[in-house]
Amino acid sequence: MAGAAAERKVIRVLLVEDEEIHRVLARALLRSAVGGVELDEAGTGAEAVRRVRDGGAGAYDLIITDGKMPVMDGHEATRQIRAMGVTTPIVGLSSDTLPPDVDTFIKAGADDFTPKPLSKEKLVRILAKFNLA
Amino acid sequence: MDYTNLRRQIISMKKSLFDQGYLDEQFNQLEELQDDSSPNFVDEVVALFFKDSSRLLTNIEQALEKYPQDFYRLDSLVYQFKGSGSSIGALRMKNECSMFKAHCNDRDLEGYRTLDDSSSIPASHSLLEQLHLIPWLTQMPPVTPEDKEGACHSEAEAGDIFSCKHKHQIKGPVST
Repeated sequence: MAGAAAERKVIRVLLVEDEEIHRVLARALLRSAVGGVELDEAGTGAEAVRRVRDGGAGAYDLIITDGKMPVMDGHEATRQIRAMGVTTPIVGLSSDTLPPDVDTFIKAGADDFTPKPLSKEKLVRILAKFNLA
Repeated sequence: MDYTNLRRQIISMKKSLFDQGYLDEQFNQLEELQDDSSPNFVDEVVALFFKDSSRLLTNIEQALEKYPQDFYRLDSLVYQFKGSGSSIGALRMKNECSMFKAHCNDRDLEGYRTLDDSSSIPASHSLLEQLHLIPWLTQMPPVTPEDKEGACHSEAEAGDIFSCKHKHQIKGPVST
């Protein structure tokens, strides 16, 4: 999957975040850090699950999800996406950064966690880790 | 208008916010993301922060007035506040939020300073209102040799321009 993304040179990212300020920041960072990016946004975990289900297993190259959100949080969304058999890299992004908070994301099936706020350095590390740079 | 002195005072104000730990590197990241395609990016993000924080502060104050206190709701509100502040590099405010959340988790706010304390979340937030001046730096004429001499003004002098802005109701930078 990562190899296909590298060949395509356009990264398809799903950002799951309910707060506008974080979406604005993530859009700008993705635009500056990645040569080509197709960005979808979901305001709740439930919407993220629907987008992944509707798009199919290969819909996205990367999913970045907040923790606390209305309707469905990022941990539950991660569990449900994994339950569908989707192996897309999922990165938890949260202001709650204590070990139990990180552990909750990893146990739900996330591949990585980064504390808010998203920054250029964190994004570059994530993209490199999943061979999306 | 004396843009040289104005620029110097705003730069001094910004430096003061960093030196006193109110801002961290994340604010520099915002400025780096501002370019020709997003010329008002910093202003946009700062405005979003103050839009969020105004609402959240009101909600936090209302939640604190209730008894028994809904610690889950308080924790959720402060979580949002912390995240929003961290987006603009509001370091001290972020740390205050962390301390407040820890007390929420312990179900004990007696040990936390009151909202009237000078080091509380609202106080840190109030200092950050100076950030509204930052976009003015990009709207002024190009840097002159006098600007390059550096800013060595006191915090009080840096605050003068802020007071002047509000006194004369100067509008912010024109959006392009």
